[in-house]
This record gives sequence, C-alpha cells and structure tokens, in this order.
Amino acid sequence: MKNLIYFMFILILISCSESKENMIPIDRSGLNEDVGTNNNPPDNSTTSGWLIPISEVKDGGPGKDGIPSIDMPMFLDANDPVTNYLNDDDLVVGVVNGGEAKAYPHLILDWHEVVNDIIGNAFATISYCPLTGTAFAWESMVNGVKSTFGVSGLLYNTNLILYDRSTDSNWSQMGLKCVNGDRIGDEPKLLDVIETNWGTWKSLYPNSQVLSQDTGFNRPYGEYPYGDYKTNHEFFIFSASPSNSALPNKERVYAIINGKKSKVYQFEKFTGGIAIKETFNGNEYVVVGNNEIIYAFELNESQSALNFQYEFDNSEVFFSDNEGNKWSVFGSAIEGPRTGEMLKGAKSVVSFWFAVAAFYPNPIIYQ
Amino acid sequence: MMKTFLLSFFIFFQSSFLVAQTCCSGGIPLSNNIGLAILEKGAFQIGINYDYNFLNTLNNRTEKLSDNSRLRTTRSVLLNFNYSFTNNFSLEGLLSWVNQKRQITQFGNENNDETSGVGDGVVLLKYGLNNVFGERSFVNVGIGTKVPMGSSTETNKQGITLNADLQPGSNAWDLIYWSEFSRTFNFRPSFNFSTKFIYRSTGINNSYFGDSSYKFGNEMQLFLGFSDQFLLFEAIINPSLSFKYRNANQDEIGGFQLENTGGNWVSVIPNFSINIRPNIILSTKAEIPVYSNVDGTQLTPTFRITTGFLFIIPSKNEFQILN
Repeated sequence: MKNLIYFMFILILISCSESKENMIPIDRSGLNEDVGTNNNPPDNSTTSGWLIPISEVKDGGPGKDGIPSIDMPMFLDANDPVTNYLNDDDLVVGVVNGGEAKAYPHLILDWHEVVNDIIGNAFATISYCPLTGTAFAWESMVNGVKSTFGVSGLLYNTNLILYDRSTDSNWSQMGLKCVNGDRIGDEPKLLDVIETNWGTWKSLYPNSQVLSQDTGFNRPYGEYPYGDYKTNHEFFIFSASPSNSALPNKERVYAIINGKKSKVYQFEKFTGGIAIKETFNGNEYVVVGNNEIIYAFELNESQSALNFQYEFDNSEVFFSDNEGNKWSVFGSAIEGPRTGEMLKGAKSVVSFWFAVAAFYPNPIIYQ
Repeated sequence: MMKTFLLSFFIFFQSSFLVAQTCCSGGIPLSNNIGLAILEKGAFQIGINYDYNFLNTLNNRTEKLSDNSRLRTTRSVLLNFNYSFTNNFSLEGLLSWVNQKRQITQFGNENNDETSGVGDGVVLLKYGLNNVFGERSFVNVGIGTKVPMGSSTETNKQGITLNADLQPGSNAWDLIYWSEFSRTFNFRPSFNFSTKFIYRSTGINNSYFGDSSYKFGNEMQLFLGFSDQFLLFEAIINPSLSFKYRNANQDEIGGFQLENTGGNWVSVIPNFSINIRPNIILSTKAEIPVYSNVDGTQLTPTFRITTGFLFIIPSKNEFQILN
C-alpha cells in the first residue's frame, strides 16, 4: 500500500511539472502567410535596441496577444437593426478609403485594440489605445510586405505598443514609429481617421459599415474594462511623462502633430461648429468641426487662399468655402469648381490631454 | 500509544489545510499555507510542499468565457518550520521558491513570460487553547506577517520589468490574522470537524515600476472541513474534505482600485494523507473551484494541486513515548 502511495505521489509530481510535451498544442493550420513565429524576440536588453527608454516600457499585464487583435472582422450595414447595440453617443473610429466607409466602435476596440482589415481594397490596421484614448489607421505593410499587427502587451507612456507579425518589431502607436526590432526607425503610412460618435458618423456616412460584435472572441462588449479611468483625471494605471496641468488629464482633445510639436483643440471651443485657418510650425491648416467632431487639413498654396465655413447639415457635406465648393469631413470636394480635389488630412489624433503632453511636450492650446 | 495517536491525528488534521490558495488568484500560496499544529513543548516540524496553481479559465463575473488562450501557472516549493516553545505557544516560519509563468497561445503562436526565484516568507506566532468550547475542542489563534523576501523587479527576456502578478515577491509587508477551531466527538474520536479563518491585510509596494505603488487586495479565507482516520493495509490514512470561501478586494494601483482584480470564490478541497513513517506524513490534495465570481473579466483558477511531506521531530519526552 505504501509503495502504491509513493508511486502516486511521484506520478502527481511528474504531471504537475510543465514540459514542452504537456503545453497546449498549437494549431498552426490557420496561419496567414505573413504570420511568423513570434516567440519572444531576441534579447535586446539594452536601451540601444530601442528608440525609447526601455525603463519606460511597461508590461501591461495581459501579455503579448493577451489582448487579441481582430483579424477576421465582420461588418454590419449602418442601418442593420443589429447595430442597435450602439447608441448614438457611443464613440467610433471612422475610416474612409477607396469609397468604402467603415466604423469601429470603441466598445469593441476596448477589448481588442487592433483590427487588421481591408478597406477599399487596401490592407489597413486600425489601432486604438483605451489608456490614451488614441486611434490611428495605417497601411498593413512592413518593409513593403503585407503584415498583420498585434498587441505586444507593452506600453510606453501608458500607450499601446503594437508588434508586426512579419518581423516581430515593436511599433509605438502615438510615436508613429517602429521603436524596436528589425524595422526600427520605420514609420507607418497613415490613413485618415475620424473619431466621433455613432450618431454623427451615421449622418456623414449613412452607407457606412460598422464592425460587428461577432469578432470570433467571447468578450463582454459594452462593459468598459477600466472602471472610471477615462473620467477620473487622477487615475493612472501606468505613468506618462512629462505631465502637464494646463488641461485636465483625461480631457479629450484633438491634436495636430507636426514633427515633435503639437497643437491642441478642445471640443468645447467648437460648439456650434466653426472653421478656422491656422498657421502652425510653418504649415497652414484649416481646422473644422463642432463639439462632437474635429478634423484638420494641411493647405497648399492654392487652398490657402480659400475662406472656409462650417456647414454640416447631417449629410456628407461638412464644410464649404468662398468659391462655392462643398467638402466632406475627410476633405474631399463633393460639389463646386474643385469637385474631386482632396485636401491633405493633417497628421492628427483625438487623445486624452495627458498623452499628447507626454508624447509631444508643451503642446500649444488653441484659445 | 494514545498520545502518539493523537499527535498523528492532529498533524493529519492540520496538514489537511496545507492546500494552497493564493495571495492573488495567480500568485504565491502563502497565507493559507501556514498553520501547522501547536505540538508539545519542544516539538519541531518541517513541511515541504510542492504547489501547482493552474489558471486557464477566463471569467466575466460568474460567466465562463469560451477562451482558453491565456494560461497562468504558479509553481511553488514551500518550506515550513514550526517550533513549539510551550504546549500552547509556537512560532512558525514559511519560505518559498516560486516560478511564475504567463503563456498566451493565440493566432498560431505561443508567447511566454516567466520568472523564478525566492518568494516572500511568512512568520506566524500561534497560541492554542484546549477545551475552551467543551471537551475535545481546540482553539488556536495567531498573528503574523508576510516578509517581502522575493524580488518584485524581475524582467522579461528584453529587460522589461514584468507586472506585479508575475513577480516572485511583492515588496510589501502584510499582516496576517489566523484562527481555527476544531472539535472531535465521542461517537468517533477520529472524526474531526474544523473551521479556519485567515485574514490578510496587505501592505503597499511603494516602488512599483519605480514611480508608482501597488497593493494587492485584502483577502479573507474561510474554511470548513471534515476529516477522519482509518487503518488501511497497516498504514494510517487520513482523508478529508474541506470547503473554502475566499474573498479578495480589488488591487490598488497608485491608490486607485484596479478593475479586473479581486472577487469571490468557493472551492472544494479533497485531501488524502498517509503516515508513511510514525513521524513522516505524505499529503496530497486538490483544490477545485465550484463557484467563481470575479470582478470584471479575469483569469480565475482552474485547479490547484499540492503535495508534500511533513516531518515531525518530537520533543525529547515525546521521543521516549514514541519509542
């Protein structure tokens, strides 16, 4: 009997000891061609392997791909009754490319942060960081090769670091640059992104598609996973620096980024709708919007002569000019003598104030 | 002979509670891995246990989500020492070695982060009283502290400091309050009913990530157990069954409560022990959650297994009796 007990004891010890043999088997049958083996990258333990201080890179907790990107997104028509999971005041990230408009609700992005999609026949990666409130879209290309992106599980200045699945390089979302790995120093090619509420987006693009909750993952969409983080100005899960007390930390602002500088616009200043011409860091811009949506365009010499007016009437027309042109929110001339002309979208983002101040220190605040 | 029997019985009973629960759901099983028996003056006990905590269940509150891509394991080797200064008063110490692992299996890839090293320790002073609530009743109380001996700044392969959950140590002193009540019965002296209560008031790591603070949530554990003793093929065996309720408050970071931490759990713990020598006990137990109500969405224990030996070095007087 005692020998039997000893045997059982040894058996339990063996069964509890992890080995490669008893790890969860990996199903590699569904791999995309561009999906490499993303075991932990080679040892780059020195800051020299990074463009950012490694001491400021934080482990977010869930681990690499612990927050899973959506790689096979499904969409619904904006008018589909199933979209009633969205309220008009729910925030969405909107992208228009090749005549195709798509909306990505925050309430899904909160749980996935990255969507690898095709918009207007272009491979695009939409990323959203719930901790900085920032969304970007960029071409899903790495060194000229299509690649999906995932959530690295790392944060810099409490902002999302993505990794690409071609080279396993790490990309700072707000830094807009590869900060570690084979593609260090590379910058992604950005697509224009609008962040606004669902009601406004539907008015602008009634034929838009919207990301479905059928993501392939079982998550409690609609439950915000960070408590009162986005409204409590003092609550930080990870630190960001430098801090700047000019505005409340979590105030959502629209920021134009130009080099290492930024200029910030508060939504409350656009209540009722305005269009303003700005000169910032040597470039001319028109900034147009209301208290729900702001977007800016970099003007060329010909466009600098125009005077713009806000003219959003719950249709695709968002603003107009003194030549009689009517422009969409993405800067496409819909009517008038310049029909078909495109304004160049500014490099910009909607963000919590603290994050703009951390990544682009001492931002100018539009008064 | 009778005394030896009782000694073994109480050791069995106590060791039945060596089932490890965690400081946090994925953490190191310290606070309830304490509580060796208060033996006769001069008695010394050494326990060595291996604990394996397997977390592969993703819950949203009470709902189990169909996602097993995340795996957290904690493997611990736990070394207990207990010395009885008097028949009622003893001092216990616990040392740990810990391996923490996080594994994500997603999109056909597997990502691992892992730390290993000396974990935190515990020191516990205990006082026992017999027959306070009638004959054959035993009451023990204790107070102790968790000593932050383990590293809380371990890094991954890239040199990036891992979060609190993956660290072998906590860099915080905790206060531990411990008490238990047990009773045997005339109708069957080997049958034992017991309850145990452990409360851990957690300290704060004020240098979390260098510039922040982290506090694991205060934790309360309540046990209810039944055990008995049998002779089987000339070996004394001691099966027991316990139920455990555990409540953990939300962790705090920078003084703010952190979502997706804390919750309520109920587990059932079958245990089997055997006297392989008069003073050596082999014990194996499993902890199986039967109810999990977590805050928000988080990994929750799938099962836990603990096994190990307890060596008893009786006092000189006891040696004489045993011989």
